[in-house]
Amino acid sequence: MSAANVISILSSKKARTMTQTSQTADEWADLLEAVARRQDTKAFEALFKHFAPLIKAFALSSGLHSQGDHLPEELVQDVMLAIWRKSASYDRRKAAPSTWIFTIARNQRIDMLRRLNKYRADVSADAIWDLESDTELFGEIRQSRIQDKVKAGLYELPVDQRQVMAKVFLEDKSHQEVADEMKLPLGTVKSRVRLAMKKMKLSLEALDL
Amino acid sequence: MSQWHPQPDQLVEFAAGTCHTGMSVAISVHLHYCPQCRAALSELESTSAVLFEQQAAVPVKDSAFDQLMQRIQQEPATKPEPTPVLSNRFPKALATLLPASLDELDWRQPMKNLRVSHLMTDESGMIIGLHHMKAGGRVPNHYHRGEEISVVLEGGFSDQLGSYGAGDFIMRTPSDTHSPRADAHEDCLMLSVVAAPVKLTGALGWLLNPFLKP
Ligand SMILES: [Zn+2]
Repeated sequence: MSAANVISILSSKKARTMTQTSQTADEWADLLEAVARRQDTKAFEALFKHFAPLIKAFALSSGLHSQGDHLPEELVQDVMLAIWRKSASYDRRKAAPSTWIFTIARNQRIDMLRRLNKYRADVSADAIWDLESDTELFGEIRQSRIQDKVKAGLYELPVDQRQVMAKVFLEDKSHQEVADEMKLPLGTVKSRVRLAMKKMKLSLEALDL
Repeated sequence: MSQWHPQPDQLVEFAAGTCHTGMSVAISVHLHYCPQCRAALSELESTSAVLFEQQAAVPVKDSAFDQLMQRIQQEPATKPEPTPVLSNRFPKALATLLPASLDELDWRQPMKNLRVSHLMTDESGMIIGLHHMKAGGRVPNHYHRGEEISVVLEGGFSDQLGSYGAGDFIMRTPSDTHSPRADAHEDCLMLSVVAAPVKLTGALGWLLNPFLKP
């Protein structure tokens, strides 16, 4: 899927009505806990119905199909299997369900690309992007506040910033690759991301020491 | 708390999973020491998750769920990866690259005060290794042909641009020359990620390639 698609969704009214998700986030968290505690297949199926098509979209926007037609479906399987197996380590105090699922999808994509390109498998994505130990207990309230800020903020962003955000965060492209594709200077791509983060009042700027 | 951090755009690429393995390991090690960057990463991952959820859903094959449940029932659960021996001393991303003891590594001593060991070369050609400086030892003035990232693991050192302690993430570009000196009272151990061999700028102008095979 192209960034243009992502943007049209971001700006559609339908998407706006989908933003009251704090309740939904709670429901996803309940379902994840049901999978962890009782191997509840009904709960797992509900998670699958919602997240599998998003994981497939993520695989397509990452260009996995260009390395093999079956790979997007395979990533869906790998990610959902990992969700099933890791559900006991999900902690709703640490991460919103969609954030946790995104990080699993990202890690599985990295491992899949590594296998495909025969990188030396010295180190698995989970060892580097450690889902279990490196996260603070920010509390559910803080987590959902961050997500709400991002959701609200995304709609306010100028098109050029939204487009760059979608490419940099989802499409498996470095800033440099996005710059090459969009025929923009590298500095412009970086500054659009920074401006977007600033507009959403995220504290990344505090790191500019 | 750590004083020297990755650039925001480096954290963005880490959150998106698009940086090379050498950079990812260096950032992961820094995160272990730096609550500030962990908070920033958490925000970036939340941002990614929002974009992820707002994608246009693409239907999966009708059989996908049944296929998955079959796989869950048939495939034995993967055994958890064994905990690396040195994970009590070093962050996980590094510990997984290490043997049970640092003595088992192939250490080379390219000069007095400095020992180096090669751990792996990543898919982009970046060399991941350990550098060990003797307490109070100085490394001669040198510059780098490519970027060099150091993350202090134990002890500390200083150079013309500052002084650094555990967790500090230090990036040098090809134009920087420096001559680091380890703190006086403790040996300094660093994770090092380098793009290319290091060239000394001394009178001899000789090449120092710590990782060159004999
Ligand atoms: Zn930091």
